[in-house]
Amino acid sequence: MHEDLNQKISQFLDNELSADESLSLLQKIQQNAELRDKMNRYAAVSHALKTDTFLSSRSDFVERISQEIQHEPVYMLPQHNKFKRSHKISALAASIAIIAVIASQSMDHQTEQYQPSPIEVAQSQLPEQSSDSIVYRDQTRQYPVNTRFNDYLQAHNSSVYTNGEVNFQSFASVTVYNRE
Amino acid sequence: MTDAMRVLNYQGTVAFLRNGKLETMKYFHAAEKGIEQERLLSLNSPLREIIRDADKVSCLFKSTQQAVVDHRPVGHSFLVDVPQNLDELSAVYDFKMAGEEDVAMLPAYVIAIQPKDDFRYVRKIWIEKQQFLPLKVAVYDLSGTVLEQVVFTDLEVKEALPFVEAKFGEAAENVKHIHQLQAQASDQATFVVNNLPPGFEEIFFTRRPIHNSNQPVDHLLLSDGFAAVSVYMENKNTAMQQGLQSVGAVNSFSRTIDDWQLTVMGEVPAKTVKFIAEGIKLRH
Repeated sequence: MHEDLNQKISQFLDNELSADESLSLLQKIQQNAELRDKMNRYAAVSHALKTDTFLSSRSDFVERISQEIQHEPVYMLPQHNKFKRSHKISALAASIAIIAVIASQSMDHQTEQYQPSPIEVAQSQLPEQSSDSIVYRDQTRQYPVNTRFNDYLQAHNSSVYTNGEVNFQSFASVTVYNRE
Repeated sequence: MTDAMRVLNYQGTVAFLRNGKLETMKYFHAAEKGIEQERLLSLNSPLREIIRDADKVSCLFKSTQQAVVDHRPVGHSFLVDVPQNLDELSAVYDFKMAGEEDVAMLPAYVIAIQPKDDFRYVRKIWIEKQQFLPLKVAVYDLSGTVLEQVVFTDLEVKEALPFVEAKFGEAAENVKHIHQLQAQASDQATFVVNNLPPGFEEIFFTRRPIHNSNQPVDHLLLSDGFAAVSVYMENKNTAMQQGLQSVGAVNSFSRTIDDWQLTVMGEVPAKTVKFIAEGIKLRH
């Protein structure tokens, strides 16, 4: 039975289950905390295999999203009861699962803000930054790019004196564009 | 018009519209015995007084008491620079009468200055009919959008106007001096300009520190009579945004050549600075 569920979770993550089988699996996962954790782990492993860099969500991520949804205010709007209650639960479970997968996939873009816990999947090594970009930042700190551009403008013509925004400080912004 | 601008005494209120910002200033032009002085007083923050005596520009910021004395390589009017000999420009510009309009309640001729290629911008100058002073100058991009305008909202010709000496008072100890540039032969430059659009000529070359460091920067000034383009070359250990950038009508293109950082900048279309930059090679 467990092997069968493991197989189904794996197929679900690989998008190999039919809609009915997916809904059935999600209903089971919704009612079983152990299965939810397992699905998170499988999702993390799957993503780590597909990409070089990965940080998974916390194990209680789905639970917390679910709690947040429970605390959402109820809007007293006219409702049309077109869907059965079981379908609503299934849709909610599917939404939570999708949010969890999407959120975990987006975590690798936010590694600086994210604090991984020891039980999470180990982070693979980040791609090395080019030496050029490191030099660029250090030198930018020494002398801002806009100040350098402003120096050139001031040497180019005296219109800087009639421009109100220039007070021998950097321009607020310099636009990069393509204009013919 | 160039003679009228140079020999008459006149004052008024002038609006500079550049980079999407409107700057209104009181304007004074004093002239006596071949010597002239331009003076601008800003009406809005940051309050400042700017005085130009030939190629020397002095600027005092009232609120911060910062002051600058800047010796420019070439003396340029704050209003508009029109070359003495327009015949030389006929190869690259067409000059046409584009009608008559009133500016600042004064009747004016409208002169359209249309480039013959797309390496430069279109200009229009509104010239007052009696004294031939410029009342309005507009620069348009190739699609006809206004990039810059200088417009008088009132203008009055005087018998005489006083020459004013730049007085810095409390700011005297806080004056930034940009010293007189020593023109050098352009063959001393570290680079060679291979792509030069028709009509552009070398005006000035110098090598000097420009930033707050001793690092020398090669600066070559080019002009076609109306539009000026600067070429800067310095050691690459400086950070610079690469590619095209824009501030109002000024476009620039930056790229690296071996260990050198190149920037070409001017009041010309983006295509022009890119064209010039791509044709620049190291002299060796």
